[in-house]
Parts: sequence; structure tokens; C-alpha cells
Amino acid sequence: MTAVRSRKSKSAKNAANAALTIILPVALGVLIVALWQGGVLQKLFGTDDYVLPEPTRIFSIFQDNSSAVWANIKITTSVAMLGLLFGSLLGYAAAVLGALKPGIGAGALAVVGAFASVPLVALAPVMNNLTRDVSRVAETRSFVAKILVVMLIAAADMGLNAYRGLTELPPYAVDLMKTYAASSKTVFLKLRLPNSVPYIFTALKVSVPASIMTAIVSEYFAEFNGGVGRQIRENILLAQYSTAWVYIMAACGIGVGTYVILMIVRSIIARKFHM
Amino acid sequence: MKKSIFEKKWVSVLFWIVLLIIAWEIGAFIVAATKRTPANILPHLTNIIAAAFSTKQVAGKLTASEVVFTSAGATLFRALVGFVLGAVVGYVLALLMKLSGIVEKLIFPYLMLIQLIPVIGLAPIILSITGDINISRVIISAILSFFPVATNVLEGMKAVPKDNYDLMYTYAAPKWMIFSKVLIPSSKPYLFTGLKTGAPMAITASILVDTLQGDGGLGCMLSQSLKHAMNIYVFWLIVFFCAIIGILSTYVIGWIELAVTPSLRVERRTSRPGRPKKNKKALIEKNGGMNNDSSQIQKV
Repeated sequence: MTAVRSRKSKSAKNAANAALTIILPVALGVLIVALWQGGVLQKLFGTDDYVLPEPTRIFSIFQDNSSAVWANIKITTSVAMLGLLFGSLLGYAAAVLGALKPGIGAGALAVVGAFASVPLVALAPVMNNLTRDVSRVAETRSFVAKILVVMLIAAADMGLNAYRGLTELPPYAVDLMKTYAASSKTVFLKLRLPNSVPYIFTALKVSVPASIMTAIVSEYFAEFNGGVGRQIRENILLAQYSTAWVYIMAACGIGVGTYVILMIVRSIIARKFHM
Repeated sequence: MKKSIFEKKWVSVLFWIVLLIIAWEIGAFIVAATKRTPANILPHLTNIIAAAFSTKQVAGKLTASEVVFTSAGATLFRALVGFVLGAVVGYVLALLMKLSGIVEKLIFPYLMLIQLIPVIGLAPIILSITGDINISRVIISAILSFFPVATNVLEGMKAVPKDNYDLMYTYAAPKWMIFSKVLIPSSKPYLFTGLKTGAPMAITASILVDTLQGDGGLGCMLSQSLKHAMNIYVFWLIVFFCAIIGILSTYVIGWIELAVTPSLRVERRTSRPGRPKKNKKALIEKNGGMNNDSSQIQKV
């Protein structure tokens, strides 16, 4: 009897705990929005509701300009995603090279890794200059330049992680392959490749938010006046803070949205590969 | 024989660096032959090095290198202040979250959410809120180093095996001792992972803030020389300077980690072949303990 009761109280405690996990952060969020709307947040930061407009005002401006906002969101998202795609492929190729030719490959990965710590602000203007002749249209030129910057950042993340996935194999699996006298091609296709799949997602978890951040920063330097990042900056220069906040919210939305998509894709593939 | 040369890592790194330099120079020759202003697109590396050592005054009474170093002082010092501030606050917050379940529940979802948000995009708005470029540099660098430190340290503290707690329980250790003997030491590798992510971000952020206002600093000089208000080679010097500082920052943190983690030094020494191994048994024992740590780093 006592055992049943204690189990019951335990499950009640767990339920309360789970409820708190949701209630507490939501309450904090509501509190912050309320303070923001009520103008307390503005006083706290020592500004006015012109620089830090209320959420309702930001939303109404978003509704007024929704087509322009969507167009800029499309530019930034496509830059980030194309750069992410090419960069991840490049990084994975470097990792495969590193796994197959350990000597030369390790050096390549070290060089790729060094690119990860080069500040974006140094890369973006160089890429702008390099791509001057890609196209006569400033829009296309900037698009290519921004993709190249995102590519380098994404390649570094993917290269370092995929290399670990391709080389850190379970010992028993390596032994099994040896007993089968498997060719290195078979080992690669049947063991290394599947083993690297979870590592690909580890890399993407970092590089998806990073590539959006990179896209936004390289827009600051781009020639063509487009994209969410550029709009944040331009609108602040014009002292249109409310519009700038719309684009800041858009940037946050892109970041969260792409991450959610990544998690969904991950769970689908995880089921297939039994990760 | 050729293969054994490449087995040394620095040889193969050197090989790729030389390859990059050759590719750069070939590109520079092509650009110089076809373009009117090659210095804007891809100048020869020799010209950039020459610009670094030239005594010609490019801005006021300063040479190109002096311009870079004086503006770097303003930018990097603020980045460092912000970085240290952010790291300390992040570490304290991780401790608080570990101490109190309520604080963790309250803040953790936001910690995760904000990592997905391009915080650097907030740089202009923070500048207009604070109104002061130096404060903005510090704040943005602090924000950017705060999150990787807080999340990594918390993850490190959560990854402590149950056995360690059980052992402390049998010792009847008070809570502060569990923190000082178990949680803080085992979160150390995670702290350094967080710092290594945060450092280049803090520098990037600080330079980015410079470009928003014409008030000195690396980013300001960068955009000025791009607009040809100054010698274009100043731009190239700053690009290389930023790249070197960014790469160095992660190495410096790696060295600090090595200096404060004796077990890591032992592991390095044993993993390097061809070195005399003195006290083999002791090394193996320590190595067993260390393997745990390195696997934790890999998880991050």
C-alpha cells in the first residue's frame, strides 16, 4: 500500500516537474513581452520606444511591409542554404580525402579548420572583390560572393566533424571487415559512410545557425542592397528603428525555423539509420 | 619514403599552405595581366608584405602597419574585455543553473533559442541603444562569448557520471565540495571548448561594430581603405591581421588549457611517438583517466 502511494506521489511530482519545465520559461517570456509592451524594458535599457518599439508596433509594421520583408528573407535564406550545401559537400570531400590519404588529408583538414577561426569581416570584403567579374549584375555578383563566404564557414564545420565520423570506427566493426577480407572500397561504403551520418548532423547543428549568421554579416559588406542583414543596417542608418526591428525578428525567425527543419530531417534519417 | 614525410602533420600542413600561396600568386599574375586595378582584387603577396614594412605615411603621420596596430589596440582590447566578461557571467550562470533547478528551467530554453538567433545582427541596434561604440563592442563581444561558455559548461556538469556523485555521497561531502571537487574540474574541458568557439566570434563582433561608426578601430579602417580613403594595402594588411589574430586566439586558449590541465600534457606526450616514456605505468594510469576527458570533448 505504501509502495503504491509513494509511486503515485512520485509520478505526481514528475508531472509537476514537467509542467514547471514548460510553465516557467513561458511565464518568463510573457513577463518580458509585457515589460517590453509596457515600456518598462525601454526604461531599464535607458532608451525610448523609438529605438526599442513595442512588439505590437513591430508587428503592425511587419504587416504593412510583409512583401518586402518576405523578399529579403528569401534572399538571405537562399544564400545561407546554398552556401551551406556547397560548403558541406566541400567539407565532406575534404574529410573523405583525409580519411583515405591520412598524411596529406590531415594537413588539409588543419588548413580548413583554420578558416573557421578567420573573422567573417575579413573574408566578406575579399570575396566581394574576387567576384567583381562574375556577372554584370550587382545582385548576382553579391549573391555569389555571399555564398562563397558561407561556404568556407560551413566547409570547416563539416570537414572536421565528418573526418571524425569517417575515421573513428567501432573496433569490432573494423575487425569484422578484416575477417571478411573486405576491400577498402567496401569498408568505405559499408562502414565509414554510415558511421559518419550522425557526425554530419553534429556538424549541421553548428553550421546551420552559423551559416545564417554568416549570410547576415556578409550582407553588411555586400555590394547589392538586399537581404535581412543589410535591411537591419540600412534601416538603422535611416533611423527607422521599427522597420529594423522587423528585420531583426525576421532574422530570429529564419534561425529558429531552419533549426526546426534540421531537427525534423534528422529524426527522419535517424529512424532509417538507427542512430 | 615519400609517404613517411607526409606522415608528420606539420609537413602536410606546410604542403597545403604552400599550395595555397602558389594558387594565390597564379591568381595574382592573371589578375595583374587582365585588370586595371589588380591591388583591389588580388595583389601579390610580396606587395602586401612590402606594404607592412614600408615607411610611407598613409594616414596622418602613420605608416600602414602603425595604422593597423593603433586601430587594432582599440578594437581588440574591447573584444578581450567583453570576452572575459561574457565568459565569467556565462560560467556563473551555468553554476547557478546546476545549483537550482528553477533557474535552469527558467533560462535553459532561452539559452538554446538565442544560440539559433544571429546575435551579430543585433550589433547596430545595440549601438543605437547604448550610443557609445566602446560599450557596444564590449557588450556584443560579451553576449557572443557568454552563450557558448554557458551551454558548454552546463553540458559538462550534466555529463558527470553517476559513480562520481555516489562516491562523494559515501564521503558525505557537502554540496560546495561536490562542486569544487567533481563538477568544476570535470567541466573544465567543456569550458575551453566554449571559449574556443567564443573567441573568434568576439573578435568578429568587435570589428563589425567598428564598421558601423567612423570612430577608429580595425573595422573602420577596413571600410575606409575599401572606399579608397586610404591606401588599399591597409585593407589587405587588416584582412591578414584579422585572420592571424582569429587563428591565434583559438591557439592561445589551447595553450592556456594545456597549462592548467596537467593530465592533458601527459596525454600529448604519450601520444607523440618516438619520445622516451619515463614512468610508463603512471602514464598509463593517468591516460586511462584522461581518455574520459577527451571523449567528452569529442561529444561537444
